[in-house]
Amino acid sequence: MDLDANRSLIAAALGRIPAGDRAALQTVYRLTSAKLFGVCLRILGERGDAEDVLQEVFVTVWRKAADFDASRASPMTWLIAIARNRSIDRLRASRQSRNMDSIDVAVEIADAAPGADSALEASQDYTRLHACLDGLTPRERTALRSAFFDGNTYEDLAARMKVPLGTVKSWIRRAMIKLKACLEQ
Amino acid sequence: MSDTFDHSGLPEDELLAAEYALGVLASADRVAAEQRFARDRAFAQLVNEWEQRLAPWAAEIAEVSPSPEVWDRIASALPAQRQDRGLWRSLAFWRGFSFAAGALAAVCLAAVIYLGTLAPQQPLVATIEGGGHRHFVATVDTKRGTVAVVPAAFSADATRVPELWLIPPDGKPRPLGLLRADQAVTLTLPAEFAAFAKSDAVLAVSLEPPGGSTTGLPTGPVIATGKLTSL
Repeated sequence: MDLDANRSLIAAALGRIPAGDRAALQTVYRLTSAKLFGVCLRILGERGDAEDVLQEVFVTVWRKAADFDASRASPMTWLIAIARNRSIDRLRASRQSRNMDSIDVAVEIADAAPGADSALEASQDYTRLHACLDGLTPRERTALRSAFFDGNTYEDLAARMKVPLGTVKSWIRRAMIKLKACLEQ
Repeated sequence: MSDTFDHSGLPEDELLAAEYALGVLASADRVAAEQRFARDRAFAQLVNEWEQRLAPWAAEIAEVSPSPEVWDRIASALPAQRQDRGLWRSLAFWRGFSFAAGALAAVCLAAVIYLGTLAPQQPLVATIEGGGHRHFVATVDTKRGTVAVVPAAFSADATRVPELWLIPPDGKPRPLGLLRADQAVTLTLPAEFAAFAKSDAVLAVSLEPPGGSTTGLPTGPVIATGKLTSL
């Protein structure tokens, strides 16, 4: 699907929701639910939980659509942030991240290769982000990935990577600083 | 949270925003960041910027179709259609209603005025207001010698009755009769006052003992007045 056309469709539909247009919410659902469900499922690991959260996500979209500013954010960015936040909230409520397998950084590097299907992948933003992630050290990248995709906390990461909490915190923070500098170039 | 690391380059707020957007904070820190996101616009902006930086990573997540019934659950979780739920409690609705009612009243008045212009002798009207309320609307027909008074938002007083007065430029009130809160009344305009019923006069309503003022002048408070206007 043409990404720009899709983006305009989603943004336009979001714009109609504050007036109480249910069909507009259904349009957003049709265009984005598979991606957002993938995001929820990746973090929560279980379809039942992920579907509960997906429902919360769209009820949130219904209530908060007026907050979306198409001139400042892409609609997918806004929606993905809601899906990730709701999923992480659910995960925190259940106290522990799903994926707590120990991480061997040397092995994990291979996982950095994209395995996706979405039109988003081909986007300039993704290409740029990926190039900047390549500039991180393997352990920084691994810690960041596990936080983003598995919803791990600092404590989870320290346990999985078998390093002190302060160390993993330092890796993540350093990674963020580098990432920002790289993306702003 | 420890500040023992030197992260020179990014201020603490920015790092906290990044951690919140990434989702790496544990419960208590996450809740605190969430509350800050809700009330601190500058912090919320930092979080939004980080969400923008990280969101493209989601391209690596495969799309998965949720079960078809998820949409049905969403649809039934939405508040009932707006007119069912919020309309009668909606300020916007009542403002709109009030505006529409006002517009309707204006149209009716315009119609009265228009019809009035067709009559050989023009009646006079007065909107009798006080305390921010329109209490009565009066129409004076000098040809027939009648004063028709329709209550608008007048609330009856348990012990006193409303009495209508005609006050010409000399300032001396002339009694026209008692009004009713619950229905329109048509009073007779005494012949000796007919000359005063002009667009320079004022109609006033005072509260009087049952039966009305016995002195020929208002004895109770004047609660509303309205200038007579030529149609």
